[in-house]
Amino acid sequence: MSTILELDGVIAGYGAGDILKGVDLSVEAGTITCLIGPNGAGKSTVLKTVSGLLRPRKGTVTFDGHAIGRLSPKARLLLGIVHVPQERSLFPAMSVWDNLLMGGYLIKDSKVLRDRLDEAVASFPICRARAGEHAGSLSGGEQKQVELARTLVLDPRLILLDEPSIGLDPKSRQLVFESIRALSSSGRTILLVEQNARSGLAASDFAAVMESGRVQLTSTGASLLENPEVARLYLGAGTAGHATVLAPSTDSPGPSARTPGEEPR
Amino acid sequence: MHALVQGVILGVLTGGVYALMASGQTLIFGIMKVVNLAQGAMVILGAYLAYQLFVSFGIDPFLAIPITTLIMFAVGVAVQLLFLRPLRREDRSELSLLVTFAVALLLEGFMSITWNTSYRSINTGYENASWTVFGYQITQVRLWAFLLSLAALGLLFLLLNRTRFGRAVRATVQNPDSARLLGVESDRVAALGFGLGAATAAAAGSVYGLLYPFNSGSHYDLISRLLSIVVLGGLGSVGGAVVAAVIVSTSSAIVASTVSPSWSEMTFFVILMLVLLVRPQGLFGTVGRGAL
Repeated sequence: MSTILELDGVIAGYGAGDILKGVDLSVEAGTITCLIGPNGAGKSTVLKTVSGLLRPRKGTVTFDGHAIGRLSPKARLLLGIVHVPQERSLFPAMSVWDNLLMGGYLIKDSKVLRDRLDEAVASFPICRARAGEHAGSLSGGEQKQVELARTLVLDPRLILLDEPSIGLDPKSRQLVFESIRALSSSGRTILLVEQNARSGLAASDFAAVMESGRVQLTSTGASLLENPEVARLYLGAGTAGHATVLAPSTDSPGPSARTPGEEPR
Repeated sequence: MHALVQGVILGVLTGGVYALMASGQTLIFGIMKVVNLAQGAMVILGAYLAYQLFVSFGIDPFLAIPITTLIMFAVGVAVQLLFLRPLRREDRSELSLLVTFAVALLLEGFMSITWNTSYRSINTGYENASWTVFGYQITQVRLWAFLLSLAALGLLFLLLNRTRFGRAVRATVQNPDSARLLGVESDRVAALGFGLGAATAAAAGSVYGLLYPFNSGSHYDLISRLLSIVVLGGLGSVGGAVVAAVIVSTSSAIVASTVSPSWSEMTFFVILMLVLLVRPQGLFGTVGRGAL
């Protein structure tokens, strides 16, 4: 396996404050990696620094050997990085089909666009069945399917998914995770942020636990599921959200967290 | 009854022209969340350009529209680049109201210097021609103005709904972050969108110059009407602006023809207040973001 994405000492934030306080993370090509952690740990901010919605103040973001930290979101899209944000990201008053077309906004060649649309529709048949309907009229689970289909139109290499199961009923959630698995089995790399840590870890090859703007622990998804400390903090009923430092450990292959320069509070 | 029907005819025909002016304003708001207080001044500048082309070259105001819209498109893009883009960069978009007001004053000053402040009107020779249909008078120029506005709105509709650029504009209005994540350059859409708004002002300006005498200060009256229409229709909704323009101008015309012209101006604002009491987001506005 080769590393496709690497964050090294990334510091980023809004206004005067830093949200990411030195994030080190590497993601292997073709895998699903899940970020878990309490609210405010900086999980979504990591995705934003990778997709270009936020530029890092310090540190480097490397994608497939290119330093991308200073590139525009558009340039990163062209490299094959697609970001599906947490909140509903469809254009509600546009048709499902127009939403898909927006997924291919950067594709100038109409034949390529047509082929990609066919491919997306083949993976997510709902896009054809509901093509003419306003995206806003679809249920939450259906909208997520269309979002994933729209992501496919750009034929991405790295898909950043922010809380794909949020607000979905259990059946839709299962469907979304199955779709994510299918995207991964076609060779794409997926970096996932998931509040529902149990589902996220179960679906992932690797996982990283974030706290207070840093990656504290990385391992395989399966071993984190069995880690009693992680279970107590993030898999229990409503116990997540307070800051307890987890000892950094890199006892398994996959995304590696370097020891942070200073201990978090 | 006769006065009522005559009022409806006049109101609908005039409403079309206001719809065109207001569609640009609501488009700009939809894309950038900028209330463009210079929209009225841009309409008047469009009227002056049509006036000048008519006086200097004898070009009919209707035929001048392709020229004036192109010029005003460029003016709109320039205004966005020079005055509004820096605010977006600095994250100070809330100042845009003041900045567009300053642009309105700047345009007013430019027009006062270029054409002085005496009232101008475009006297084509056909401005008073009219037909009488079943006893009702239809002013030819108002009918042409109405049809032209419909055609311009139709073009705007096609542009927004059938082109790649239009899709990007609608996407930006509905979910700007998501549009950016798909590769839409929001700065570019904002500049072109502002240009488009100014272009509709130019098209409406040619017609305005045919219908009413105007001077550089006429934009104050115009902008208060346009703001009322845009708010009534729902900020950011082009369809809402069209419906609101027709409602407002028809009811004003009906009151003018059946009650008294002195009450007609007030009708405008009474309707606005009543609608806002019941639907603060306007007739077709959404509580969240607008939708084109």
